[in-house]
Amino acid sequence: MKRISGYALFFVSLGLFLLQMGYMIFHDSFNVEYSDNRLFFVINMLIVLCLSFALSLLFTFSKRWKVMGVSGVVAFLLLNIIFGIIHHGKIRNVVSVSPDFKHLFVMKEKTQTNEAIYYRTYFGILAQPKERLPYQIGDEYKVEWLVNDVAAFTYNSPDNKIHQYVGTYGDRGGGGSYYYVGPSIHGKWRGENVTVTTTAEGITVQEDGEPQSFDWDHVVQFGTLAIVLVNNNQAQWTIALNENFLIESQETIPPTGEITLYKATMTDRKPMRLEYHDGD
Amino acid sequence: MKKIIISISVLMILSLLTAMGFYHAEPKLTEPPWEQKLEKAKEKKENQESEPLVPIYVKDNVAYSLQNMELSVTFDNGRKWVQVPVEQDSLFAGEYNGNKQELIDQSYILTEKHAVFLYQVDSRIKLLSSPDQGKTWQEYIVTDHFSPIRFRKVTFLNENFGYVIVSGDRTMSQEWTSVFITKDGGETWSETNHSGVTRLIGDGGFVDESTGFLSFGTINPTEPDLYVTQDAGDSWKKADILIPEKYQEIFVMAETPLKEEDHLAMLINQGPNGDYEGGKVKGKFLSKDHGLTWKFLMEVHPNETN
Repeated sequence: MKRISGYALFFVSLGLFLLQMGYMIFHDSFNVEYSDNRLFFVINMLIVLCLSFALSLLFTFSKRWKVMGVSGVVAFLLLNIIFGIIHHGKIRNVVSVSPDFKHLFVMKEKTQTNEAIYYRTYFGILAQPKERLPYQIGDEYKVEWLVNDVAAFTYNSPDNKIHQYVGTYGDRGGGGSYYYVGPSIHGKWRGENVTVTTTAEGITVQEDGEPQSFDWDHVVQFGTLAIVLVNNNQAQWTIALNENFLIESQETIPPTGEITLYKATMTDRKPMRLEYHDGD
Repeated sequence: MKKIIISISVLMILSLLTAMGFYHAEPKLTEPPWEQKLEKAKEKKENQESEPLVPIYVKDNVAYSLQNMELSVTFDNGRKWVQVPVEQDSLFAGEYNGNKQELIDQSYILTEKHAVFLYQVDSRIKLLSSPDQGKTWQEYIVTDHFSPIRFRKVTFLNENFGYVIVSGDRTMSQEWTSVFITKDGGETWSETNHSGVTRLIGDGGFVDESTGFLSFGTINPTEPDLYVTQDAGDSWKKADILIPEKYQEIFVMAETPLKEEDHLAMLINQGPNGDYEGGKVKGKFLSKDHGLTWKFLMEVHPNETN
């Protein structure tokens, strides 16, 4: 049993090693990175831990070799932890898992220049760059999943303006996407102390009786599921289509389901659910 | 077996340490795909720019190049190139339909030392000149106002005297031709009196500081139409060319005369549609009164003209 476990651990370690080497050799040509750069160091540590357990299960060593081996492993682990921390200081990884654990929001920032890139993930651990954020990231940021497949990344730029970047994950229902989110939420939507009214002129958000209007030039769409309403080059609100949102192809039939409204602010605000009220 | 597994383990750990060194040394973000494409396109352009220039020779060792949308000149067979401070498009400004691969004939002068380029910017006709193999450049204005140019020619007979002939404002087979002369090496230019002819100019030039010619008629000419000045452009007279009957309507376009010993010599070609003995044979005419009258001397075959 000991022997089998030893070999199993050895092969796990070998497999991880091959993954790590494959990554080092090919990641540049395939434009992929680990979803979180620190995974490199974690995998390194896993390899060495598996390897050391495997060796200790498979063979017997003298006390002297044992001491040397354990010291070596500890040193290796410490080195990886230190390098991981230093690395994270240079490349800040923002990783967030969706509430249903199906999607990963990945953003990486080069701290020296504050430039940030949004990534699409593959198999959970690998990621490919999708696009550069239009503004540099300042000191504060947060990720909020508005629905299971829409994540809003709110951040302040160095000039203290608030921006929102929305990561959306796929279209819903086998290609029946809503290509233009704005027009698809035409009509009046109501939530607790808040309404969203979409007309041909634009979108008006009214919170606690205070209306804010945005014409279509100030509506930025992300993917096929969300829009951000901007004013003075700052994000004000994000609107996402909920998973139960459904629009019929016939204009006369009102949409069903909900939309989510999320205020662009660094203070703690929860996303609000809104239901279709009427088409006025 | 123990030895093999331990060797593999040591090898793995050493590889991991090396990989860690590389990974830690250069933390970077992968560029988004479209930015990579942009970067590649930029690199490609830079590589193209660093490609060696292919010289278009004017004479031994002296050549120019229009590669990379820039005019460059070399005076040492391409070992060293000098970029000419002129917009490439302005060298082809006006009525020009070519592919911009080579400079317009007669619109430039390149010698072992000198470089002169005639060009137009908006309505201004300018001359860019370097007397020292491109080390220094001087820009001169020939005229401030001229319509988009068709025919263009610049020549210097000596260090001081030079002329520019330009034509423009063409409608069908009529246009305006102007002659400018300089007597101070190009610094100042003065326009001569107009010849009074509005046919399309074919060629022109001065043989000395006072005697100049304008040859008109480029579309289906039936006889040479040559005008001569003997007072540096103050007045122009139509030259009298005595063409033997045999060559009537064969030699139809006068080329710029040249000085030969104590007389002037001129070749008259067959124009664009000539077919006499293959169309390349020219007639040589001589003048002993500074270009006023011309008498036929002989036929000149293509291999004799050079």
